[in-house]
Amino acid sequence: MKKMFASLLALSMVLVGCGGDGGDSASSSKPEIVMLTDKGTIDDKSFNQGTYEGVKAYAEKNGIDCTYIKPVDATTDEYNNSIDQAVKSGAKVVVCPGYLFEESIYIKQTEYPDVKFILIDGNPHDASYEDYKTEKNTIGITFQEEQSGYLAGYAAVKDGNTSLGFMGGQAVPAVMNFGYGYVQGANDAAKELGITVKMKYHYTGGFSATPEIQTKASSWYKDGVTIVFGCGGSVGNSVMAAAEASNPAGKVIGVDVDQSSESDTVVTSAYKRLGDAVQKALESIYSGDFDKTDDTSIQFRGGQNIVLGAKDGDVGLPLETSKFDKFTEADYNAIYDKIVDGSVTIKNNKDAESPNDLNCSNVDLTIEN
Amino acid sequence: MSDILFLFQQTMFFFIPLLIVALGGLFSERSGIINIALEGMMIIGAFAGIFFIHFFQQSMDPQICLLVALLIAGLSGTLFALFHAIASINMKADQTISGTALNMFAPAFCIFVARLVQQTQQVEFSNTFRITKVPVLGDIPFIGEFLFQNTYITNFLGILILVLSWLILYKTRFGLRLRSCGELPQAADSAGINVYKIRYAGTLISGFLAGMGGLIFIVPTSTNFNADVAGYGFLALAVLIFGQWKPWHIAGAAFFFGFMKTIASAGLPFLASLSIPNYFYKITPYVATLIVLAFTSKNSAAPRAEGEPFDKGKR
Repeated sequence: MKKMFASLLALSMVLVGCGGDGGDSASSSKPEIVMLTDKGTIDDKSFNQGTYEGVKAYAEKNGIDCTYIKPVDATTDEYNNSIDQAVKSGAKVVVCPGYLFEESIYIKQTEYPDVKFILIDGNPHDASYEDYKTEKNTIGITFQEEQSGYLAGYAAVKDGNTSLGFMGGQAVPAVMNFGYGYVQGANDAAKELGITVKMKYHYTGGFSATPEIQTKASSWYKDGVTIVFGCGGSVGNSVMAAAEASNPAGKVIGVDVDQSSESDTVVTSAYKRLGDAVQKALESIYSGDFDKTDDTSIQFRGGQNIVLGAKDGDVGLPLETSKFDKFTEADYNAIYDKIVDGSVTIKNNKDAESPNDLNCSNVDLTIEN
Repeated sequence: MSDILFLFQQTMFFFIPLLIVALGGLFSERSGIINIALEGMMIIGAFAGIFFIHFFQQSMDPQICLLVALLIAGLSGTLFALFHAIASINMKADQTISGTALNMFAPAFCIFVARLVQQTQQVEFSNTFRITKVPVLGDIPFIGEFLFQNTYITNFLGILILVLSWLILYKTRFGLRLRSCGELPQAADSAGINVYKIRYAGTLISGFLAGMGGLIFIVPTSTNFNADVAGYGFLALAVLIFGQWKPWHIAGAAFFFGFMKTIASAGLPFLASLSIPNYFYKITPYVATLIVLAFTSKNSAAPRAEGEPFDKGKR
């Protein structure tokens, strides 16, 4: 009796859980596309959600079943288990957003050669970072976040801000890239204007909203910082809270997706088009292009680690919701074109140990720990 | 001057919630029930309160809205504390286990309900509760600037709760009974006091205060509630211990914790030249707690019967 009750309870939880994600795609038949979430949740308004929206959009358009799994814990072992679970339940494509999956996919891509793996924000490698290997059934997609951050920094300075802040979450590659780009963008804009700008730079070490972050951001705004790039999940929400309470109100730059709806203080967002990239990868898989691994004219093909950036239109600022005073669409297009044609090169976290090594003479950088 | 003002006002964001939640813990522990579920109660309280604000803030005066939300937060915290009370008083369960269970349950429950109601787990709100200047009082030089400008109604509420807690615990018959149940419940029982009732009262008051504290914690800190109070319930436990289970000491401890947290984040303008690393300020409250614990371990002020289920027959 007890056992029956327990299993009934478990079943009802599963069913309600599926209803809760807003899609009717789960549960009924076997889902072919399965996404795993990394540390965040499926509706984090950022990384995981952005990816899943892409998966869902493609699946709905083509009548394919999709679902997601939230691994019990953010460890390679648990990720492996979740991949096993997905494949056993019939998944043909496994989508994994986050560099945390690099090791799991390195292991599982050989174990399941018939399953396709899409890894976002990372390239598969072994535990010791010695062997990098992307099999024919796998594609690794990374973004040039530094370009997005660059545009944000450039726009902020061109718009009249002379004292800036960068509030990053944990110092993971994507966050660092955003930050490095931000510093370099501010530097180039300051050079063009013939001025020097000040910037405070800090990693909070986490991705949640805390009074510590609110206090730090408040102290920045009080010291004359006018705009802060809140870069890392809920960290941005504490920065927004501080910006709203400051007198005069501060400005905030959002991250990953267009965050203008979260607070009036958000003037623009440095986005990367996660959803688009996932959709393109899925299209390539279902059209069969993915398997033509030797055809270099196909960008999204198996065995590749591809880098998406301004040249594909996958990073940038959402101008339609941005609130700039002086920075115009023409200015934006001009600098965007320069990034695309390569006349502006931007260093990322592989090129420099710390933002101090970026040689930005027009930015007076203060790194706070 | 403006630097000190800024630090003082930022300290309030740490001080007031820590104070209220630690006082909540005080009521429960002085009645003999260990309450490590403060974190969970904060989460439930904040969740209910923010949910109310989310739906009703457009149609109400902000201050009234906040007060109603605080009441709702407190009541939902009370309701949540009821589980702890039933488990540890009626069922005589291990109080740490029951508290841990509630701490695990709270965030999961909030995420589940939020998703069910609105598809996303973050509950959004906009902070319209800041009082730029209290009329008349805000014009008093110096004091007005510190206490009655850029403030929240919750700051005054926190101080009121502190005074009330002290009055209740030390100046009323109920307070004496509550404290006696935490020290030697058998003696209290022989004097005709219903230990079960008193312990229920202590635990429920604790839930009420912790629930309110959760909402007070979230309002100035973020623009949405994501089933998380960043471990401040556990920090409040440390404050309770550092304050040696006495209301005024707890206030001092909460202010010390809050001030250290503030200068760790904002920096001290006049100490900047010393270039003391931030980590120093960050660890200070914890090191201080450890030292206090080490030195008071022999005659600790912890309630003697804390954590023991009441057994009438025991002597």
